[in-house]
Amino acid sequence: MNLKICHMYPDVLNLYGDRGNILCLRRRLEWRGIDVTVESAGIGARPHLAECDLVFIGGGQDFEQEVLLEDLHSGKDEEVKASIADGVTFLAICGGYQMLGTYYETFDGHRCDFIGALDLYTVGSKQRMIGNYMFTCTPESGGSTVVGFENHSGRTHLGPGVKPLGTVTSGFGNNGEDKTEGARYKNVFATYSHGPLLPKNPELCDFILKTALERKYGAVSLEPLNDEAERAAHGEMARRLGG
Amino acid sequence: MNIRAFLGIVTVHVLHFGIRLVHRGGTAFPGRIALKICPNLLGVLSRGVRTVAITGTNGKTTSARMIEQAFSDSGMDCVANRSGANLLSGITTEFAMRCTLSGKCKSKWAVIECDEAAARRVFPQLRPEIVVVTNLFRDQLDRYGEVTHTLENIREGLKSVPEALLCLNADCSLCSSLAEDLPNKALFFGVEKSAAHETQPPEISDATHCIRCRTHYDYDYVTYGHLGGFRCPKCGYSRHAADVAVTAIDSTDSAGSRVRIRIGKTEQPVRVNLPAMYNIYNAAGAIAAATAMGLPAGSAINAVGSFHCGFGRMEQFDIGEKGAKMMLVKNPAGCDQVLEFLSDMDGEFDLVMCLNDNGADGTDVSWIWDACFEKLSILGDRLHTVTVSGIRAADLWVRLKYAGVAPEKISLERDYELLTQKISQMDKPVYIVPTYTAMLDFRAHLIKKCGGSDFWEG
Repeated sequence: MNLKICHMYPDVLNLYGDRGNILCLRRRLEWRGIDVTVESAGIGARPHLAECDLVFIGGGQDFEQEVLLEDLHSGKDEEVKASIADGVTFLAICGGYQMLGTYYETFDGHRCDFIGALDLYTVGSKQRMIGNYMFTCTPESGGSTVVGFENHSGRTHLGPGVKPLGTVTSGFGNNGEDKTEGARYKNVFATYSHGPLLPKNPELCDFILKTALERKYGAVSLEPLNDEAERAAHGEMARRLGG
Repeated sequence: MNIRAFLGIVTVHVLHFGIRLVHRGGTAFPGRIALKICPNLLGVLSRGVRTVAITGTNGKTTSARMIEQAFSDSGMDCVANRSGANLLSGITTEFAMRCTLSGKCKSKWAVIECDEAAARRVFPQLRPEIVVVTNLFRDQLDRYGEVTHTLENIREGLKSVPEALLCLNADCSLCSSLAEDLPNKALFFGVEKSAAHETQPPEISDATHCIRCRTHYDYDYVTYGHLGGFRCPKCGYSRHAADVAVTAIDSTDSAGSRVRIRIGKTEQPVRVNLPAMYNIYNAAGAIAAATAMGLPAGSAINAVGSFHCGFGRMEQFDIGEKGAKMMLVKNPAGCDQVLEFLSDMDGEFDLVMCLNDNGADGTDVSWIWDACFEKLSILGDRLHTVTVSGIRAADLWVRLKYAGVAPEKISLERDYELLTQKISQMDKPVYIVPTYTAMLDFRAHLIKKCGGSDFWEG
């Protein structure tokens, strides 16, 4: 078996250790003897998303957003939409998550059109939602408990076309109001969770890998790994957050 | 002097005395209370004192110690915040402790490091004659936000002191942009192409796009991180020529580096008393600031070759068979420099890393995934063992595992007493790499075991 991963915008969306997710996906495949290739597709690159099995988009700074949107609206947005519709697995974090939605409206009412692949939108707020947090994935996303670090001022609201990734048990989540966290649509997993997300949450990592592998190979069972370190880091934070 | 200032000074002296009595370190607390009584107390106390202020992400403390050494070698006694209390409150305490009760400062000079976010509150009162900006890297994003916000904080602070001379890192496109739109005079320090080894910035760089027009930078060379000979192909914003320029690195080892530095038109050999590239930058910045203050170049050069920083900066502890060195890390750029330094070591060593997530460390520890721990995985037998500790020890354990460090080399020890015992039994050189509050905690244990000076004694 082999899996082809595309890392979108590693040159500008690379804050908060999000690249740790790529490393985690790669290692957990390699440790099971599954081949993996990772393609980096920065500004100006033209990746063939339809040929990828898993696409990763991380969070970034506001500073480069203009450059990024220009690049995105040069046709990459349509390609992202098409491959999502086609069932390619996506993992999008924070800024990458917001970008998959329809738009972002800043606190002072300036509206920025995003990709529009997912039925959700984000509104900027004055209060930054920041800190360690925890949520429980819905059964259709594996049902595991996730610990992470959120750091966003945008409040994301989900439309009827998407489901939340999970329910917040400690912290803010999508908007600090409705207890939802992240979004699920087809094979898209989107969340605010940095940390990075996957290394401390190996169950979710394996669920995402399984999703991508099964689209390609049919039913797959992943060999269990020794997750002693991962469980220690996860358990420590879960206990701190009262889980 | 008004009555409020008098009461402020008395408050600092009384509280400081009380704190020493109970053997606690806190230098910020007395100043914080005194500022409530007299909000412009620092302005009153620092009036007439000729001050060099140092800000920027990494190297503030080391640069300040180098500059202070140059002053004291020339017989010039300075006010200095050696303990690293670098917010308005801590700096106010330092000045109050060096003032008479009538508010007259006993020193004519001061060397003050200032937190980047505090610059806008500190500079208007401190009115520094020279401001050194060492560099800007992503750091404690939960507290400072993105790196351009930090730059804006410093810019805001500098707007209140248009007469101050800026001493900027020429190789940092973020820092050097301060000279573009502020009226201040500026001079630059940096490393020339002849002393650089890289041609491209690493995958994660904190300044990929032009600060003026957001076009992707081209580079003639890179020293580390985003530092180097940058050039915007569209608007022409590019590296300023350096007034104090490192032209060659002749040798470097665990004790320091021998380099050549051009000051004005003269190139001179310089010994830097701490290893690694980031300290070569600190030395260049310190020489630039000290000479701008009117000290002879020779004094500044002697100072960077003889100063001792201590306090977690390559601080030596007499423990275990071969001794231990402590290297504080705060962010990916600093951590990468430490990892680079370890990669260059000859022979086997033991590594101890302590990660905390208190306010002063940054509550978000995800930055460890932006640092290149993969460098440790290719050391083979040279990396003998790694012990992880601190509040977030398990996060480090996971990071090292995914970096490819052999699992059997990694162990976890949370108890600092047991960790100290463990280190005392090690028979190889030990490197201890803590974050800020872990350094404060663990250093206290090491000092109890092997002696040394507590930080409030300077």
